[in-house]
Amino acid sequence: MRAAGRRAPALLALVSVALIAADTLTPLEPLRAFGSAVYGGLEDAASAGVRWASGERRLEELERENTRLRADLLAARRTVPSPAQADGYRVAPAHVIGFGRDGTITVDTGSDSGVDRDMTVFDGDGLVGRILRSGPGTATVQLATASGASIGARLEGSREVGLVTGVPERGLLRLSLLNPSAGVKPGDRVVTLGSRDMRPYVPDVPIGTVATVEPAPDALTRTALVRPFARFTALDLVTVVLGPQADGDAVDASAGRGATTARTAEGDADEDTDGDADADADAPKGGPKSGSKSGSKKAKAA
Amino acid sequence: MKAIVLSVLVVLVAPVLQVAVVNGLSLPGGHPDIVLVAVIALAPHLRPGPEAGGLPERGAARGGAGAFLGFAAGLAADIAPPADHTIGRLALVMCLAGWVCARAAADGTAGRRAAVAAVVALGATLAGGVLAALLDGTPWGAALAPGAAAWTVGLAALVAAAFALRPRRRPFGRMPRSRGGSRGGSRDPYARGRRLA
Repeated sequence: MRAAGRRAPALLALVSVALIAADTLTPLEPLRAFGSAVYGGLEDAASAGVRWASGERRLEELERENTRLRADLLAARRTVPSPAQADGYRVAPAHVIGFGRDGTITVDTGSDSGVDRDMTVFDGDGLVGRILRSGPGTATVQLATASGASIGARLEGSREVGLVTGVPERGLLRLSLLNPSAGVKPGDRVVTLGSRDMRPYVPDVPIGTVATVEPAPDALTRTALVRPFARFTALDLVTVVLGPQADGDAVDASAGRGATTARTAEGDADEDTDGDADADADAPKGGPKSGSKSGSKKAKAA
Repeated sequence: MKAIVLSVLVVLVAPVLQVAVVNGLSLPGGHPDIVLVAVIALAPHLRPGPEAGGLPERGAARGGAGAFLGFAAGLAADIAPPADHTIGRLALVMCLAGWVCARAAADGTAGRRAAVAAVVALGATLAGGVLAALLDGTPWGAALAPGAAAWTVGLAALVAAAFALRPRRRPFGRMPRSRGGSRGGSRDPYARGRRLA
């Protein structure tokens, strides 16, 4: 005991250094998963208690509907059709339950709701960030202003392409346009460029407006400071984009999330020509060619 | 026993409180690190078990307990969800902070405890900022934000002083067995002996 008392501080400091070294070499994901399982639940409970106490419980239905409408609005904003042919997004509403100091926040939806890493997060004002990792009931979001974030972006008017990075100490973003002679002026709106397969960023989410154009020290890129639409210090209800809402698989994944989603997806299935959707659409008709169980049952009943 | 319960509470609750409540407040300048404040406030009150005999051993054991509290709380803050920095960064800083605090502030007046708490809070915040900039590429301006450091230092001094001045019926933990019989007796000059121990 006496020896342990003398050695303990040095030993613990050594363990800390070993942890730092290990996490630098190979990320200690199991430890983070453990942390998000234990502390995510506690944060969720604390936040839910605060919300219940302030009587916001009955707003949840409205919040859910609001989220869905917001996703529809976002999809409707898209002027250029994307290769994914999605006419809507599957989304999950989430509350912000924790603010970190590494340019990250915690939201109260996780892999149980289908949230996975590299999914877009936005709120009523504009882009918030992307999912960094997800635990069972919570997920960590990297904000657009984090020092490590970089987002493909374009000017909404001229469609010039660039890259948005965080300037964390000032709460601003820096836009670097690839075309050094591109015209950019304060007040221009900046939206996301969109990524392959919609991950991590879906296209045309508003990011912010150009605040000042920086004088170019070199002629390789054109840089400007962007004031984000989202108020990162006062985030509350956000929306996570789970994926495009197009085929039958998507409906299965989001089954039980409200009748509207299913109805929209049925409409899609009628128009679609791929195999799964056709099978779904044919099954209720009970065609003679289908050898499915439901078809034979219907035949017996008749 | 009470100290153990408080330590577990600090390790479980302080990171949640930090993330879910404190960081969401709109304070001018920045946000205090209440995990660090809790470690600094509680570390001097951890008592070694009754088997630690003489004065040097008691001090060492107390330092060990403080270091362990700091390590556990720091590791908790490292892995509590929104955190996205190198695991072990806060554990290292808070382990050292808990150790120094337990050694230096255990036997002293409220003023001395507050001073030690302030110095340790400042040192730990600066060390944590340097580590953040070196390990995780946090910009220096954000890593060494003076507003957050000022909040942390002020709160640590305040809480440490309040802990030392609070009306006390009996200290945390068990009384040492050798003095257990004389607890409450006003003739024994060591009845409130943990100030002198």
